[in-house]
Amino acid sequence: MSGRWRNPCVVAGLAVLVAGCRRGADTPPQPAPTTRIAPAAQPPKPGEVVTNSLGMKLAYVPPGEFVMGSGVDEPGRHDDEARHPVRITRGFHLGVTEVTQGQWKAVSGFNRSEVEGNDLPVSRISWQHAVTFCKQLSRREGRTYRLPTEAEWEYACRAGSTGPFAGTGGADEMAWHMNNSDDVPHPVATKRPNAWGFCDLHGNVAEWCADRYARDYPGAAADPNGPAEGKYRVVRGGSFGHFPRACRSAARASQNPAYQLQQVGLRVVMETPPTENGT
Amino acid sequence: MADNGTTKRLARRDVLKGAAAAATFTILSPSSVRGSAANSKIALGVIGCGGRGNWVTNLFAKHGGYQIAACGDYFPDRVKGFGEKHGVPAGQRYTGLKNHEKLLAGAKVDAVAIESPPYFHPMQAAAAVEAGKHVYCAKPIAVDVPGCLTIGEAGKKATAKKLVFLVDFQTRANAIYQEAVKRVHNGDIGRLVNGVAQYFCGLSFGTTLPGDAEGRLRKWQMDQVLSGDILVEQNIHALDVACWIVDADPVSAAGTGGRKLRKGDGVIYDHFNLVYVFPDETPISFTSRQCGKGPSDIGCFVHGSKGTIDTHYSADVKVLGDTPYAGGNTGGLFQSGCVENIATFHKSITGGVTHNPTVAQSVRSNLTCVLGRQAAYTGQKATWDEMMKSASKLGADLKGLKE
Repeated sequence: MSGRWRNPCVVAGLAVLVAGCRRGADTPPQPAPTTRIAPAAQPPKPGEVVTNSLGMKLAYVPPGEFVMGSGVDEPGRHDDEARHPVRITRGFHLGVTEVTQGQWKAVSGFNRSEVEGNDLPVSRISWQHAVTFCKQLSRREGRTYRLPTEAEWEYACRAGSTGPFAGTGGADEMAWHMNNSDDVPHPVATKRPNAWGFCDLHGNVAEWCADRYARDYPGAAADPNGPAEGKYRVVRGGSFGHFPRACRSAARASQNPAYQLQQVGLRVVMETPPTENGT
Repeated sequence: MADNGTTKRLARRDVLKGAAAAATFTILSPSSVRGSAANSKIALGVIGCGGRGNWVTNLFAKHGGYQIAACGDYFPDRVKGFGEKHGVPAGQRYTGLKNHEKLLAGAKVDAVAIESPPYFHPMQAAAAVEAGKHVYCAKPIAVDVPGCLTIGEAGKKATAKKLVFLVDFQTRANAIYQEAVKRVHNGDIGRLVNGVAQYFCGLSFGTTLPGDAEGRLRKWQMDQVLSGDILVEQNIHALDVACWIVDADPVSAAGTGGRKLRKGDGVIYDHFNLVYVFPDETPISFTSRQCGKGPSDIGCFVHGSKGTIDTHYSADVKVLGDTPYAGGNTGGLFQSGCVENIATFHKSITGGVTHNPTVAQSVRSNLTCVLGRQAAYTGQKATWDEMMKSASKLGADLKGLKE
């Protein structure tokens, strides 16, 4: 573990993480209990959470396989969501929440979000801003941070689910979207987390991904990372300003990477170093 | 089906010249398969050997994955010319009013392309699906409510029988249109407020209709019943995009239309002016002109609380507002959309993709045109619910035509 990695912590169990993620107006925030762990040669356990120096929580997503895309009967789907199997061969840590304005300001020194608040997700950032933030965070923490690939994003969003939304209650349960948000972003982690503990992958702000966009999913069945060429970058998850159909697990969007949109922010991946057994 | 090619943007004469020049085609393998063997061609029967039938068959041949195996049309001269041009064996050419029945019974084909007058599409498509054939159908799919419902059922039956049924709208096949409309559906222009759709072009098809049955059939575009009138047969390009964007059935339509240059009972109108109301009290006004010398455009604008989608057939398509999409120019769409659909039809057959999404979309927009036509013909506000309940059928005068 690098000397810049200041506060490595792990959550005792996934259920605790899930409880800590859901804090609406009637549910006071419940900080997840954490325990300090020593570096180990073994891979983290699924759902284990580390907290970096910004207080940003990142949960471990183990390697695995899933079916990306939606079935032809899924309401609200578009034709760019063809179902296909995908293998994620390397585990990674993913932000439990979208990057907040407080975290963003601490690293980048500016905040152009239209509605301000330290617990609100940052927005009005270009794709290049998001990439630069990851590089700055990497230097600060001594670990590699980056944007998720589109496949990693959907793998984590689904958390084993196969329907339009990761929960059982549909869009309102999981997402701040156009019909319930009053057209403003909301503090992160105020909707139900998915089965792996991630909050706001559906809705609140949409999230830049690393990939370029193509209507047909190109690339390998294992760890796909998008086409080599293309003008637009992938944006996932929909937002407070989008209809529920745009917040589905399989819904794909793309934007000009130079645009700074009030509905688009980011969530980061922290790369998990390979262990002795290669996972 | 004849897209009239009257707009400058469509440049149809140039398209036809190019297509004819490229129409050399060699049959490489027999077509007894249903598109499952990788190196086999799909045996295609073309129903309707007029201008559109010939033009679209050039594109099927150019694709390389089809063998033009049979053809049918009422008129022997058209069938002969088509057969000779596309290398259809003499024994696989069918004529008369029931040419499609003869073709389906006698020809060894995997699929049919229906390019006949719209009045005949429902019966021909339903018979083709019944016979186990994949169907590629020109727009419009029908001229009345029962015809639209027949196509809807045929599409469902096709899916149940693992057959492909594709309706050839060029706009829906275009990636720029698809992306722009997807963004509206996602919410990029906010809640829909209102919109405008339009179809402007010069006079085509002429001004009068022959009195004899065969003359009317040969000039079917001029016949209100055989074509469905310009609102259904031509203007559907604009209204299909409007329905696609709004993604709902209209509640009602009101308006007018008539003939300024054309004359005679049963002759198509040359203009329509309508106001559709969609759910959430979203009005879309529609204007069409098929006469005069003004600018040509097949356009649709829909305004939302945060932006506007602005589309033009074979021209610019974009989204303006808080979350803009630069889109691009869809020039050449008249041909490129068709080429794309022919490729999709082939891929769907060979890949077994039979959920047939274009059918329900086409039923909706076709019924929307029928609703507007009813309002304009009667001068009364027409509602969707009443139209669907009454389900009026248009009857063509086919007396004197040979079976």
